[in-house]
Amino acid sequence: MALLEVQDLGVEFGAFRAVDNVSLHVDAGEVLGIVGESGSGKSVTALALMGLIDEPGRVHAQRLMFDGRDLQTMPLKERRGLLGRDIAMIFQDPMASLNPCFTVEYQLVETLRLHEGGSRKALRARALELLKQVEIPDAQRRLSAFPHQLSGGMSQRVMVAMAIACNPRLLIADEPTTALDVTIQAQMLALLIKLQRERGMALVLITHDLGVVAEVAQRVLVMYAGQVVETARVPEIFEAPRHPYTEALLSALPEHNIGQRRLRSMGGIVPGAFDRPAGCLLSPRCPYVQPRCRAERPALDGDIGAQARCFYPLIRVPA
Amino acid sequence: MNLPTVAPDVVLETRSLAKHYPVSTGFLKPKLLARALDGVSFHLHVGKTLAVVGESGCGKSTLARQLTMIETPSGGHLLLDGADVTLADAALKKRLRQQVQMVFQNPYASLNPRKKIGLALEEPLAINTDLPKAARAERARAMMARVGLRPEHDARYPHMFSGGQRQRIAIARALMLSPRIVVLDEPVSALDVSIQAQVLNLLMDLQDETRVAYVFISHNLAVVELIADEVLVMYLGKVVERAPKTTLFKAPRHPYTQALLASTPRINATARLQRQVLSGELPSPLAPPSGCAFHKRCPHAQARCRVELPVLEDLGGGQQVACLRVHELG
Repeated sequence: MALLEVQDLGVEFGAFRAVDNVSLHVDAGEVLGIVGESGSGKSVTALALMGLIDEPGRVHAQRLMFDGRDLQTMPLKERRGLLGRDIAMIFQDPMASLNPCFTVEYQLVETLRLHEGGSRKALRARALELLKQVEIPDAQRRLSAFPHQLSGGMSQRVMVAMAIACNPRLLIADEPTTALDVTIQAQMLALLIKLQRERGMALVLITHDLGVVAEVAQRVLVMYAGQVVETARVPEIFEAPRHPYTEALLSALPEHNIGQRRLRSMGGIVPGAFDRPAGCLLSPRCPYVQPRCRAERPALDGDIGAQARCFYPLIRVPA
Repeated sequence: MNLPTVAPDVVLETRSLAKHYPVSTGFLKPKLLARALDGVSFHLHVGKTLAVVGESGCGKSTLARQLTMIETPSGGHLLLDGADVTLADAALKKRLRQQVQMVFQNPYASLNPRKKIGLALEEPLAINTDLPKAARAERARAMMARVGLRPEHDARYPHMFSGGQRQRIAIARALMLSPRIVVLDEPVSALDVSIQAQVLNLLMDLQDETRVAYVFISHNLAVVELIADEVLVMYLGKVVERAPKTTLFKAPRHPYTQALLASTPRINATARLQRQVLSGELPSPLAPPSGCAFHKRCPHAQARCRVELPVLEDLGGGQQVACLRVHELG
């Protein structure tokens, strides 16, 4: 049974559908990558799962199950106890996610006290242990540091320590390495994967960097304009993408264009709130567009584990 | 002072360029010196692209500020078109400034939100030329068409454009005075993959048309591999490796360059180098480590690396490396 099961999740802000019928499942101990460009709805999906969408945003879903329990019908108090303990989240900008007015220790202990409790001394010892687990050098001294005294990489480590404080079974990481330098990004990914393996934790990694997904994820969800356009396993998706958008994303990478004079690029931009086309959302930009694509919206189609939202999915001709 | 003349196709040259910032540490305490840029030398040829890579805090942006004459270097020489900027008078500087333009990282912050973009594009002409208004507007619209924007949108404000379009506006603005050099400070890192590809293609097209030279500052090695002719790897204000692009990506010699390449996430599993995660972070430029600045994070560091200061050594084929053990490590 899947640890997290989401069916037809929708998020609306007024008339604008930021997330449109997204279904996904995450198994225990699995790494799922969610990729997409800005505005594709990947962060809003994560926020909706965490119950962090505020009014006037509206969240609805057919099914929203975590570990066999329905997140939508359970009492609010119970859900709040679950979030932060069993499901934890790390955000993109570590500098903005920590409260600048309190020390690292205070913020770590706060999480622990809310969910687990214990004597002050025990909590402090646990906070120190957490900092050591996320490989912060000189952890004892860092406990009394304020966020402005930490570098970006260090702050992100503190965020990870807070997220894993209560041994979550699912960790949602929203662009955890985007704001970091490439060497620090490699350290951060190595740390996340190490923690994920050690604890058998499920990890949902939201990113726009396909390279990151290729290196660590087992399965990928590609999002475009609020919809899931393709789901597939790694490395199959990189070898034989079935949706034209996935193919375009891959071929626009500089890595795939070495030795060529120009990058293959898809024209146009992601449609905004008020210029969504009538048919397939990709139809104005798609190189393979057919008359049917402009009139009808395709559904997510295919076997479980390899689906594409396209009337004419790409089929790789065997060489 | 007489400096030897430079090769005719060199548009920009720096010789041991340095910028040190005094940093206050508190009342009555002595000021410390942050060596943000410490002896950087390179040439830039007409129509070529020099990429500058390194982590944040390595001096990339400080270098950009010296090249564009926003700041005055604390030492060394900066030669533009053979004229030494550090010795130039105000009139010459004004003329030289038109030759170097800049595109910034964040297109949401680098355009004035209260100015119609047609006017923003005309401004460099209004300040530096005596073209009449109609001619300026004409040129602005021509430039918009050239960077792939619709000329009839010249009365729009920046908020009406997407990130990629705004970066096109920023590029158009930089090219209004037909400069010989454009300094691009992380021009695509704020953009999505598909938009990034469009903007990179535009930059390469414009270079073919106008023979403008680029100084391309980036931390994204995949982008650098595509666009650069020559690469400068910086660490804590110093150049640690300089090489033609193909050499650098095929045979990086400095341990830091090797680590940077190995840290870049790759899709192609066979292209992935053996993952050697670099430990630690960039040290503070206020208290740089003794000897080789990289020794604390270097997997090959020895006792002498802590004491001796490596200098850039020519390895032939245009490759220069600052590492004490470069010959041992092969």
